[in-house]
Amino acid sequence: MKQEQFVARYQPEWQALERWLAIRGRDPRRARRTPDPDGLDDADMPQRYRRLCQQLALARRRGYSPQLVARLQSLMQQGHGVLYRTPAPRWRRAVEFLFADFPQLVRSQARAMWVATAVFVIPLVGTFAALQWHPELIHLLMGNDEIARMERMYDPSSPHLGRDSGTDWMMFGYYIMNNISIGLRTFASGLLAGVGTLLVLLFNGLTIGAVAGHLQQVGHGDPFWRFVVGHGAFELTAIVIAGGAGLQLGMKLLAPGRRRRIDALVEGGVIGARLCLGVAAMLLVAAFIEAFWSSIADVPAWGKYSVAAVLWTLVLLWLWRGGRGGARAD
Amino acid sequence: MLDTYREVITPEGVPLHLPAAGPLPRALAWAIDFAIRFGALSVMSVPLAFLGDFGQGLYLGLLFLMFWAYTIVQEALWGQTIGKRAMGLRVVAQDGAPVGWMAAITRNLLRTVDMLPFGYALGLLSCLFDAHGRRLGDMVARTVVIHIGAPADGGTLAIDSVLPPPQPLQPAEQAALIAFAERAPRLPGPRQQELAGLLTPLSGGHGQVGVLRLYAMANWLLGRR
Repeated sequence: MKQEQFVARYQPEWQALERWLAIRGRDPRRARRTPDPDGLDDADMPQRYRRLCQQLALARRRGYSPQLVARLQSLMQQGHGVLYRTPAPRWRRAVEFLFADFPQLVRSQARAMWVATAVFVIPLVGTFAALQWHPELIHLLMGNDEIARMERMYDPSSPHLGRDSGTDWMMFGYYIMNNISIGLRTFASGLLAGVGTLLVLLFNGLTIGAVAGHLQQVGHGDPFWRFVVGHGAFELTAIVIAGGAGLQLGMKLLAPGRRRRIDALVEGGVIGARLCLGVAAMLLVAAFIEAFWSSIADVPAWGKYSVAAVLWTLVLLWLWRGGRGGARAD
Repeated sequence: MLDTYREVITPEGVPLHLPAAGPLPRALAWAIDFAIRFGALSVMSVPLAFLGDFGQGLYLGLLFLMFWAYTIVQEALWGQTIGKRAMGLRVVAQDGAPVGWMAAITRNLLRTVDMLPFGYALGLLSCLFDAHGRRLGDMVARTVVIHIGAPADGGTLAIDSVLPPPQPLQPAEQAALIAFAERAPRLPGPRQQELAGLLTPLSGGHGQVGVLRLYAMANWLLGRR
């Protein structure tokens, strides 16, 4: 077929498509509400698009002029952009993810998670113990200003636990900003062969151990433990999970297995992004507890500890059992 | 390949052209986004300052949203942030499909790594070495930033006369002829004639005559008959 005949035969179809795309491009919502009486029906679009693709392939094969091919190509690219979209997120899916998929995913990366736990907990406990025997070691780890601030925050006579100033709301915002950012960075720095994640975990372990050990040693232990024990259930586990996510990403770079390194990294990145979603949710809960519950000084110690026991049990049960039994194909 | 075009064959069996964007337009888009975020935070901080500590809490929450959610949500919903829209850029998956939520989250979380050690240096290096200008976050999330924007409409041609080529031309030859007709008017006369001289067998004329005949053939090829 000559190009002229080809154009003459299909011109009306292309014009209809162009018109439909122009209306769609301007305001998709209104275009859907008020259908164009003499334009294309939305339901016909996929079929029309495929016809156009076939015509484009023909035009290329037959060597029609570059102008015609370019026109069809641009029509086809616009159509592709309209036809293929991101599926909308669904609430039911989000709940399922939090209660079932996320714990499953954590368990599927058990090795990385245990390593992260070790790298975090061993320095923490080690510093804590060391400071009980040699209290002066704290000066190696923290400056004098920081020590003074810590002691002020957990002064047993203070009306609020765990802070110098600021109301619950302000601290809620602060915790969200600060903690979630730390969690996400812990994961992301794993791309540097896991070194970044290891350092973050190590430093966090050391610092928390140092603060706890020092406060315990100077006799501010009671307010400190009452403050941290509740939200720690979510916060500490979330940091460890973020660390595990970072480590598995780093391992994908170091030991990709029988794949290209980039393919292994892509897989690790997807797993890590999903884990990070859960971590962000956990840290959000932690920030809420930390701001509105942990800081209340009036609650007696037994109240704090029993609530904390419930929270820790729930978190560990959730991570251990969540998503078992429901064998759902993903 | 000199071009940064990425060709993807769609399920329908036709190639999709993805013109990958380089570091400069992306940096500009980032600067626009940064200005918007910074501006929004400064504007919001005034009324929030009146709310005292509660306002400060809200401010920090907003800071968090601006830092992490701003890019993720916009890229997942529309494939482009406001800055990218202004620069005519768009984030798409490597196969030309729109980015999903997971990919948008991954590529934006890994921004932290691309920023290392300062000012997106790692991201820039990766951009320069990758054939499609992807930063590390893009590689892991399998995304690519492309130019959208209407393809340049054929330039104005020098003359009105039309002449059919004496023999049928291959598509690449047609494209070369049209490109010549679009660009030659910006070249000095002797250079135009020198280039047209290469095609004497086709045009059958020397010097200025050859140039004009080629213009006329380009007109014919462009459908102005």
